[in-house]
Amino acid sequence: MKLSKIRTIVAAAVFCVLAVGLIAGINMGTLSGFGFDSFSALCPLGAITTMLATKTLVPRAVFSIIIMALLVFLFGRAFCGWICPVPVLGKLRAFFRSPKKRRELEQAKRDEALDIAKFELGCGGKGGCESCSACKQQRTKLDSRHYVLGGALLSTAIFGFPVFCLVCPIGLTFATVLVFWRLFANADMTVAVVLIPLMLIIELVFLRKWCTRFCPMAGLMNLMGRFSRTFKPVIDDAKCLETSKGTACSRCAMVCEADINLRHPDYGERTLADCTRCNACVDACPANAITMPVVAKRGQDVKLAPNER
Amino acid sequence: MSEEKKEGAQAAAPQDVGAAADAAPAQPAAKKAKEPMSVSRRSLLIGVGGTAALLGLGALRYAGHVPLNRPPGGQDEAHLVSACIRCEKCYEACPRHVIKPAKIEDGLLGMRSPQLDFSADYCDFCAEENGGVPLCVASCPTEALQLPAGADAHNTIIGLAEIDRKTCLAFRDTGCHFCFDACRDAGYDAIQLDGNGYSPRPYVIEDKCVGCGACESVCVSLQQGSIVVGATERAIVVRPASSL
Repeated sequence: MKLSKIRTIVAAAVFCVLAVGLIAGINMGTLSGFGFDSFSALCPLGAITTMLATKTLVPRAVFSIIIMALLVFLFGRAFCGWICPVPVLGKLRAFFRSPKKRRELEQAKRDEALDIAKFELGCGGKGGCESCSACKQQRTKLDSRHYVLGGALLSTAIFGFPVFCLVCPIGLTFATVLVFWRLFANADMTVAVVLIPLMLIIELVFLRKWCTRFCPMAGLMNLMGRFSRTFKPVIDDAKCLETSKGTACSRCAMVCEADINLRHPDYGERTLADCTRCNACVDACPANAITMPVVAKRGQDVKLAPNER
Repeated sequence: MSEEKKEGAQAAAPQDVGAAADAAPAQPAAKKAKEPMSVSRRSLLIGVGGTAALLGLGALRYAGHVPLNRPPGGQDEAHLVSACIRCEKCYEACPRHVIKPAKIEDGLLGMRSPQLDFSADYCDFCAEENGGVPLCVASCPTEALQLPAGADAHNTIIGLAEIDRKTCLAFRDTGCHFCFDACRDAGYDAIQLDGNGYSPRPYVIEDKCVGCGACESVCVSLQQGSIVVGATERAIVVRPASSL
């Protein structure tokens, strides 16, 4: 089975187990605060905002932030690729698109990646062309998610409560489970039965590419992911069709769900700091040139994008 | 700009790489067409839009919400609102399932924050389950539910029971005294009967009532038929401490 399928199943299974646990009262928390009894691994954004709002240090929150930072250092944004329910909902959303629209979107992504590959090969560079000044695209150190993150922290600091938690799609996913369960089990009818799923739908449908462009959690993880050196995808230039044969391929860029262009990092919307270790590029590479070693050997490291240096 | 990009794509279209190589250096514009400008403009738009939306959402703080019966340790309303991240752990932790998410109808700010619901059971600070230390407080990861030192089930005021004489069955001479029994069993003796006749009427001793909800959880006024048409709550309900 393809790993992308396994990933979806893993995330869906995690969601189902937590949702059943939430209903049954197994007391293991949700993704906002996973853990048993008095131990909880808090959502790092929740941990930061709750401490910012109350202006106190909460031991469990500090502890959670450290754990999460370590996990991101080791596995990058693997949470996004393997556990978070939002990309699964995104797949559901894609399921409801018309086949024509789906094909169009895929085709557009393919064409864009191919254009870039052809252009870069034309430049004569090995995946990049330092000689040509036009190619030095200035990539800013911060992207839109960091601005949303900043807005969330600013609002929390001003108004003194974790503002983003009200609209967090991860929290809303579990809130939907709870509100529906209460509707059927306790006949507890409330506007939230409509409003909570509605907010979720608005975020996923109208704020296109939520994870790449909006999610402040992803932005937060990106800040730590920049320092990660483990389990990153690496291209073997001797095998890669583009470097060994000069054929425009860029399948890795086409399949990347984090909008990274592994072969031509300068052109991706995001950099390897956002890699979710999803393995899609490894699976897609027709020459089996991509691997995800524990630590990339020297000289084997993929070319870093300017903001990672 | 997208048109420019398309042109670039068509120019590079002659499929073999050699042709692309010839075409490419001639058009550094194609690189510029990779829209560094529009990307940063979009980032800015999303950033400004997102921040504005979140600031607007933050202003809900001033809108507030109606007073709610909070679980143990949530009596400092301002602290609870500041610290709660709506992680839903306390709902799960409560062995008696009396904690439920607050409704949107009671105010957007309080939405999904913990509220006590005494329709089926009441709160005894987990006397049996955890020796008097409420499990919701123990499991709250952000310390939004936090009991001051020495606080227990007898000195923490969650709310105050209030009897509606229009719907109370005892005031209709039925002899009902479920609430009196429940309060005695819970160990508070905050409900007394006035001792008159065959149907003594209950009344609440305010100094003794802590708002545990035992009385409300056993009140049968709503189940026992439509005594008063249009009654939406039980004849004895706990009013939140913050509304008193």
